[in-house]
Amino acid sequence: MIRALRRKTDLYPYSLLLPALTVTTFIIFIPLVYTFGLSFFNYVIWKPHEIKFVFLGNYKKALEDEVFWISFRNTLIWIAGVISLQLVLGFITALLLNRQFFWRSLARSLILIPWVTPSVITALMWRWLYDGNSGLINDILVRLGILDRYFPWLANGSTALPAIMFALMWQGFPFFTVMILAGLQAIPTELYEVAKVDGANPMQMFFHITLPMLMPILLTTILLRTIWVANSLDIIFIMTGGGPGYASHTLPLYSYIRAYKGLDFGYASTIAVYLTLLLVMIVTMYVIRILKTEERFR
Amino acid sequence: MKKTAALFLLGIIVSTLLFAGGKQEASGKKEAEVQSVNFWFHLDDPEARVDSLIQKFEQENPGIKIEAERVPWDAYHQRLLTAVTAGSPPDVSQVKLWWQPQLVELKALEPLDKWISTWQGRNDIYDRVWELTRYTDGKQYLMPLQMVILYMYYRTDMFKKLGLSIPETREEFLDVAKKLTRDTNGDGNVDVYGFGIRGARGGHDWWGAFVLSSGANFEKGGLTTPEAIAANQWFIDLYRVHKVSPPTTPNDGFKEIIANMQSGRTATTIHHIGSAKGMVDALGDKISAFPVPEGTEGRWTSFGDEENAIFSASKVKEAAWKWISFLATKENNLTWQKASGQISVNKSNAEADYGELSRFVKATTESADFAGVLPAHPATAEFVESVWPTTMQRAFLGEITSKEMMEIFEKHFYGE
Repeated sequence: MIRALRRKTDLYPYSLLLPALTVTTFIIFIPLVYTFGLSFFNYVIWKPHEIKFVFLGNYKKALEDEVFWISFRNTLIWIAGVISLQLVLGFITALLLNRQFFWRSLARSLILIPWVTPSVITALMWRWLYDGNSGLINDILVRLGILDRYFPWLANGSTALPAIMFALMWQGFPFFTVMILAGLQAIPTELYEVAKVDGANPMQMFFHITLPMLMPILLTTILLRTIWVANSLDIIFIMTGGGPGYASHTLPLYSYIRAYKGLDFGYASTIAVYLTLLLVMIVTMYVIRILKTEERFR
Repeated sequence: MKKTAALFLLGIIVSTLLFAGGKQEASGKKEAEVQSVNFWFHLDDPEARVDSLIQKFEQENPGIKIEAERVPWDAYHQRLLTAVTAGSPPDVSQVKLWWQPQLVELKALEPLDKWISTWQGRNDIYDRVWELTRYTDGKQYLMPLQMVILYMYYRTDMFKKLGLSIPETREEFLDVAKKLTRDTNGDGNVDVYGFGIRGARGGHDWWGAFVLSSGANFEKGGLTTPEAIAANQWFIDLYRVHKVSPPTTPNDGFKEIIANMQSGRTATTIHHIGSAKGMVDALGDKISAFPVPEGTEGRWTSFGDEENAIFSASKVKEAAWKWISFLATKENNLTWQKASGQISVNKSNAEADYGELSRFVKATTESADFAGVLPAHPATAEFVESVWPTTMQRAFLGEITSKEMMEIFEKHFYGE
């Protein structure tokens, strides 16, 4: 009787997890394995007679592909740039929203507007803001005397990627704000009171109390945003399509273009696998960092 | 109590299943009587509709139902190819000529010759259209639906003000474009540009008008001859050296080139009759058209076509044929063009009254003799979708030379 109950108890949590696991298997795990498998094939969908197993051929081809390396470099710039911009802006906004002022609740709601705006709308909005013929940003800069003529932000090889990064910073920083704000409110006020009694100044309190206490939340948020930002291609696709030339090509965008414009699903899968490897490396570094932190507190 | 509840629940489930099964059986019988033709199409104007044509067809052909699905143009090619590969294409789809090689390669298309040979309407379709749409294996897979020929739009008021006449050659055109590029309000900045070039996807038609008319062609080696490279350089220089096109040119797509013309930012551009109504609505009689100027080897402009194709996987091919032949018949084809904004493929519609758009129809018909198409090559689709825009943009930015650009195209079509 006891054994049966125990067996029942052992299976119970698994049975509860089963629906989620089934869905995950079908919509994530199987496509993932399939993509991994495709990456070993020469698989251009309109050439059904030329589909063949090339093992690491696509991987070698990528390493010799100029566009792959341009996209790889742009992906690193994209991740580092967007995440740091969002982190800084999100942090400043969270600190401001943590202060007492009469319309604080309203401000906390308004700050979420960019985050809840669909990417397509964000991209179209920023595309028209940057427009080189009639864009608002050019108009303001010319009126202020900063520019003497309209500048083609998205049609210039040097400014296209930074301009899109700025748009994504705008869209994504509220997530940092909300997470950091939650973290700030969880810090016991006693710590600050004690520090004040000990004669600590605001800077010391920030670096010795606020920042260390926020660190777990910051790391988790950075990790999540890194994965999302690295995978995001909708904003780039709508704003520049990866251009001009390869100026705003990133790995997911290049993979998309190879798959849906070139219909070369084998090579596109290889690029996607390389991107996954890059993200796995970042996640591994995060896990190691977390384990070390836990070790320290044990 | 629990048992009763469980039995009750079971009863509900079983009866629901039984009723659902019955309904399915009933509708299954009905489906056997009615043949559904799944039809994919697109129209540039989001407000345009073709419901009246569908209703008319269904009334004339009881037993056939058209299930029309409007597919966004940007994703059309990719959705169609993936549907074909997945084994679930529509019965009929509107297609572009340059998709044909890939679709034939996939054995996705049904040859239409057996129907066309006995179809009464075949002599009413322009011979040139049959000629351009016939595949290289001699078979006819595509049923003509609509056509456009690209020409040059120009601002009549600006030409008049500056005393300019219609340019006949590319050198005359360059001269006109330079004169039209000017600072109109004296602030030291250019306000109007002579020529709106589309540097993003779809801009190969602008490029072709000047490069394919001056020595370049898609035969093996035809893109890398000194004449072809020089013609391409001439085109790049319009933007980089003469600066007769707006600074945004590398990223300008359809919306931008049309908006720039309508707002007076550009004084000429290339497009087809599909945008004529919008142009007239915005500019009235200040806008007109002329055929693209002559290059060093004659004239070349793009024949923009769209056809209907029946897919070999279709189980209702006869019904599908009835639908596509219906759409290619005089009166129905003209009704279709009211929604598409394009030109009928029927000879008998040549005298149709296009009203305020007549001057654009004239530019179209005047361009018919030198209108050409991109090569019937499986690599053409990718050339249009990504290779041309990316490479052209790099050349516009000065990242690659004219020679390197043409070598990339040559390699794309013919390998090393």
